[in-house]
Amino acid sequence: MLRLLHTADWHLGKRFPSFPEEAQKKLSRARLEVVSTILDLARRNSVAAVLCAGDLFDDPSPVPAFWEGLARIFQNRPTPHPPVFLVPGNHDPLTTESVWDRSHPFRARLPAWVHVVDRDDFTYEITPEAVLYARPCRSKAGESDLAMALPARAPGDTRLRIGCVHGSTFDIEGHQTNFPIRKDAGVLRGLDYLAIGDTHSFRDVTHDLPVPTVYPGAPEPTSFDESGAGSVALVALFRHGARPRVEAEAAAFWRWRDVRCRDMNELRALLTTRELERQVIRLHLDMTVSLAEESEMERILRDLQGTEATHGRAGVLVVDKEKLRRRVGSVDAFPDHLPQVLKETVVRLNQLAEGTDDIARESATRALSHLYDLLQRQESQIGSAV
Amino acid sequence: MRLHRLKVNNFGGITNADIAFGPGLNVLFGPNDLGKSTIADAIRLALLLPHASTTCEPYVPWAGGGDPVVELTFATEEQRIWRVRKRFGKSGSSVLEESRDGNDFDEVDRGRAVDAKLREVVRWGIPEPGGSGGGRGLPSSFLSTALLSTQADVSAVLTTSLEADIGGGGRDRIAAALQAIAQDPLFLLLLRKTQERWDEAYTEKGNKSRAKGSVFAGASERVNQARDEKESLQKVVDESEVVEQGLRKLIAERSGREEVETGAAERLHMLETLAAQAEACKQAADQARVALEAVDRIKQLADDVVASERSLATLTASTERLEAGRDLARAAVAVAAETLKSSEAEARSATLAAEMTDTVARQQLELRKAVADRAATAAQQALGSAIETQKLVDAATAAERELTQLGEQATDAREEAAKRAEMLAVAQAALDHCEELDRGLAIQLADRHLANCETEVAKKTALAADLVRLSVERDSLLTRRKRLVVPVAAFLPPLRKLEKDLAGARASLGVGLVATVTPRQARLELRLGRDGIVPISEVITQSLDAEAESELFIGIADVATIQVRGGKPDAREYVRSLEDRWTLEAAPHLTAAGVQDLVGLEEKIEEARDLETQLASLNREINNLQVQTEALAETEVLLREAALRASGVREGLAEGMFESLASELQRMGGDPGVTLRSRRQRASGEVEAARKASADAATAQMLTLERERALRERRDKEKAASDVALSRFPEGLSVAAANAQAALVATKAELLTVTKDLASVHSAQDERARRLDESVRSAREAEVKSRAAVDAAERAHTDALTTQALEGGRLAELRKRLASEDLVAAETTAHSALAASAALPVPERSLVLGELEAARAALATVREDITNIDREIQRSQGALEQVGGAVARERLYAAVEAFDQAERHERELEADYEAWKLLLETMKEADAAQASNLGQVLAPAITKQFGMLTALRYQGVQLTAQLGTEGVLVEGNLRSYERISVGTREQLSTLYRLCLGEYLRTAVVLDDQLVQSDEPRMDWFRSLLARNARTFQIVVFTCRPGDYLSTSSMPTGETVYVDSDDGFIRAFDMGRAVQRR
Repeated sequence: MLRLLHTADWHLGKRFPSFPEEAQKKLSRARLEVVSTILDLARRNSVAAVLCAGDLFDDPSPVPAFWEGLARIFQNRPTPHPPVFLVPGNHDPLTTESVWDRSHPFRARLPAWVHVVDRDDFTYEITPEAVLYARPCRSKAGESDLAMALPARAPGDTRLRIGCVHGSTFDIEGHQTNFPIRKDAGVLRGLDYLAIGDTHSFRDVTHDLPVPTVYPGAPEPTSFDESGAGSVALVALFRHGARPRVEAEAAAFWRWRDVRCRDMNELRALLTTRELERQVIRLHLDMTVSLAEESEMERILRDLQGTEATHGRAGVLVVDKEKLRRRVGSVDAFPDHLPQVLKETVVRLNQLAEGTDDIARESATRALSHLYDLLQRQESQIGSAV
Repeated sequence: MRLHRLKVNNFGGITNADIAFGPGLNVLFGPNDLGKSTIADAIRLALLLPHASTTCEPYVPWAGGGDPVVELTFATEEQRIWRVRKRFGKSGSSVLEESRDGNDFDEVDRGRAVDAKLREVVRWGIPEPGGSGGGRGLPSSFLSTALLSTQADVSAVLTTSLEADIGGGGRDRIAAALQAIAQDPLFLLLLRKTQERWDEAYTEKGNKSRAKGSVFAGASERVNQARDEKESLQKVVDESEVVEQGLRKLIAERSGREEVETGAAERLHMLETLAAQAEACKQAADQARVALEAVDRIKQLADDVVASERSLATLTASTERLEAGRDLARAAVAVAAETLKSSEAEARSATLAAEMTDTVARQQLELRKAVADRAATAAQQALGSAIETQKLVDAATAAERELTQLGEQATDAREEAAKRAEMLAVAQAALDHCEELDRGLAIQLADRHLANCETEVAKKTALAADLVRLSVERDSLLTRRKRLVVPVAAFLPPLRKLEKDLAGARASLGVGLVATVTPRQARLELRLGRDGIVPISEVITQSLDAEAESELFIGIADVATIQVRGGKPDAREYVRSLEDRWTLEAAPHLTAAGVQDLVGLEEKIEEARDLETQLASLNREINNLQVQTEALAETEVLLREAALRASGVREGLAEGMFESLASELQRMGGDPGVTLRSRRQRASGEVEAARKASADAATAQMLTLERERALRERRDKEKAASDVALSRFPEGLSVAAANAQAALVATKAELLTVTKDLASVHSAQDERARRLDESVRSAREAEVKSRAAVDAAERAHTDALTTQALEGGRLAELRKRLASEDLVAAETTAHSALAASAALPVPERSLVLGELEAARAALATVREDITNIDREIQRSQGALEQVGGAVARERLYAAVEAFDQAERHERELEADYEAWKLLLETMKEADAAQASNLGQVLAPAITKQFGMLTALRYQGVQLTAQLGTEGVLVEGNLRSYERISVGTREQLSTLYRLCLGEYLRTAVVLDDQLVQSDEPRMDWFRSLLARNARTFQIVVFTCRPGDYLSTSSMPTGETVYVDSDDGFIRAFDMGRAVQRR
């Protein structure tokens, strides 16, 4: 039996512009850190080879920190190490300016067991009974089927033949120009396993065919809508003609979650969620709050998100307040013995909040909330004055 | 505001004053009429009154001495020190300067702008001068009334309020000060926090801050960056999709074309099969046809051999005929060539002979022409020389004639010049006499001026004597007045009241006292004093009843003094207090005046007043004399100058001359000056005209002489030249000219003849040449024609020979081909071919013309289309590699999400900061609404002080929102301030003003504010003022320094002021600080 680890879509160097700056760094760093996890998985599962089916970098010319980091990870691995095959994908195609070019310093830093698929006729004999065929993407888009470009099985060849390319299978929209891969390409080219990459969720697109064609997905998710992301594929090949067994193995550190809170209880419950520190949470506040509740809500959010002085309990938190509504007429929450001038302020703001002008209402409600929050924060300092 | 220094000059009754204020309480004291209120007015005018205002008129010194000038230095805040200097009056001026250290001042404004700036600086709510509502006179506002009180209306602050203010500055200032003190600490804390949030997002003007680093700028920048990235990627994706769409279309198109290609290939194959079958049939038929044609060809070949043999015989006969014609043409050519040669030889010999004859004739004619030319030239030269000579003779004659005329003109000019010079001398003599008369007149005027000056000097001497006399008289009065040290008359009534009170009080002590003194010795020396009378010594030997009304003093040598006083203790205390007041207020005046009582003082005051009246009268008189004397100040100088002038104008005048001139001037009548002036003008005109005429005549004479000299030189030259020229014609000028004319005519006729002959020779030569050329040309044409005929004959012969040879060759070829053919074999082959053709399969259908080519072309077109599509696909792929495809779409997705997120964040941020802004504004509005009731804020402070002052007799002071005084609360009822006592009213007014001064941290001027207050309350006020002095500046003007100062705080000796209480109290002796007239 031959064991392989199949991964793809690392997207090293990917940016996350919709996140706060600190979160962006966390998420970008995680993409490099997961490579070590993958290589550890490979070692633990005694694989004969690690197939990396494209889009390993988010760009063909990533910033040095990422290719240096990847090279350092490879360099620091104990040897002997199963061979690792790096296939250029459509995000990081093989061009003369790319990190894959032989003249790039990245190549010079790679250990001998790391192989870059930089030829169209790339062939590697993993064992005498197993051979790998791979072909790189040379551009960001193309209409040629790289799988079909692999050599066909020669008559009488009984070895395990494994293909590794990057592209979109025919069931994916827009596949025509994204290196389309025929669903039956593995069969047609006489392969035993076709390792592909592009889609970020784990998927075997060929259940009904004898030759599995598998997307392992991104080992670290890149967005909230990648439900099957965060894994690699462990492949067991037995002999030519027998369908290999393919299993997903989790690798990701981060778990991306869309959380919707419809009342304060749900929000409070969020605080009790396990492993919050490994979660990227997009929190949709779809509820109506009173002044006191809003103040509590802000405290919970500060608790989850962290402040300049403290770490947040959630790994990354993005708050969506589009559907947050503030309850009007909750000024009773203010202390009774406020100074007259503050009472007057509250009365005036409350009049605006109960008025008919929507903009003024919104602004006044928020202003009351600010005032309330200020008072709460100053509580310890103002002491008996409140 | 704090006052630093005040300088006053010529202001009202004050000549000079220079007051340096201390930082705290300044007590400026002195008796009435010393100018204290004038100093207070000076402060008011310096700060409020434009220099040109007529309001300043009361301060213009009645005795003259210049315009009133006030210079006030004050500070509005730390390092903002101002100095305003105003000279009041119509021609006055204002200057405002500013300094940071009080030493170096820079001018800020000048003239009218000074008051506008001052009002802006002091912020008392007084509008700019000239604005609406400004009014005339000294402007006022609530604050100016409160801070600068007048003695005339000490309670003015109670009758006014901010409502009367035209400008809002005062109200704003008070509101700001009161608001600051009224704000709650929690409110302040929250306000500051809110303000900090506001500051993060908004500019000072309340606009959203877009500056670098601001929250909105950061959010906006993120949105812009995200938008730029989104749009950039959108563009890439759009381009990519266009390319991808095109590529997909091309791929589909290629599939379609590939199907078409398959169909076209199949059809072509079918057509090609049909074509092959048809071709096979056709080839068999062709083979049969060829075999039959071979049989026919052999038969035709035999017929051709026979026909060729016949044609060759005919051609041989024709060739022989053409050969004979060619020989005849050659003979004709030889004849023509011979003819041409003979014609050319004949022409050459004829030309040679004629040319020799013509050359000889032409040379002879040209020789004759040259001779004639030379003769003509000589004749022409002779004629020209004669004409030139005649011209020279004529010119010499004309010059002689002209010289004679010019000599006559020179004589006339000389006579005219002499005549004009004589006239000039006469006119000049008349003018000189006028000058003499003028001098005579000047002497008369100088004498008269001298006499006037002597009169003025005498007058001045008399005035000086009067002035000395009056000055002595004034000094005497002044000495008498100075000896009288008395207060002003207004001082008497309070003193009289005090005297009366004292007398009354003492009377209450007059209970009648009797003390019996019994000596134990034979003789006892006593000092007895009764009812305050100075004790007198008395010696008693027996008992003595010493009686008195209220007080008895008995001194017994060195043993004891006994003082017995009548009346109750409080009555005595009252008397003592009145006596103390008498000692402080009245006694110094009595002592200074050297009188015992008020009657004496009154007399002294009356005397002083009389003396002042006399002094004033004397001063006026002296001033009048001084004015007159000053007007005559230069009289002596003028006298000296007049004397000098009188002697100067006489200088150099002959003896007796002046008398002669004087008598002549007298004859001129009323105004000899006018007559003389007109006479001199006339004489001057005549001299000028004569001088001009004389100069013109002299010029004319000089010009005539010059022309005469030049003409004479010319005439001499021309005469010499004509004599030389005439010497060349001994036979006479006219004969020589006639001979030269005749020779010229003859040579011209000869030249005409020779020219005609030469033309004739040339014409004969041309005619001969033309004839010979014609003859040679005819012979040459005949020779050319005959040669052409030979060429034609030879060509016809050659053609005939060629045709004959060709026909012979063809016959040989035909015979050879016929010999090589086998007619029998050919007929056999034809039969076989016909049989094979009949055996081939017939095609299903016949191909339409061009059908196969069309199928091939269609297939080629399809394949070319596919090639083109492949090329397009490659191109599209190339483009796609550049634009990104799915990669770009993924990035666009992320960019759109980032943009949406940035926009959401910006919206949230804006809403959040709008709320902060609203919160801040609302807090300020609430605060302002609370503080707008200024009375509510200020009243408690005044109430507190007032309650302490009055031992809580009054519970409160009620002020309106605009700081108007509604009244005081007595036993829960509001009582108008008009219904409280005058003393209490002035105390309330003073407290009100001090409160304002304290809150505004600004100087308060109190001009005799508390004159109606009793001693306990004055003690209380003294203590309050001492405390307040450490917070803000107070300037008090008073005639009762004891109300405000302890004895030790007062200046002594010649000191103007003295500081005490760590420098927070400064006492000024106004008598020393102010110099009065």
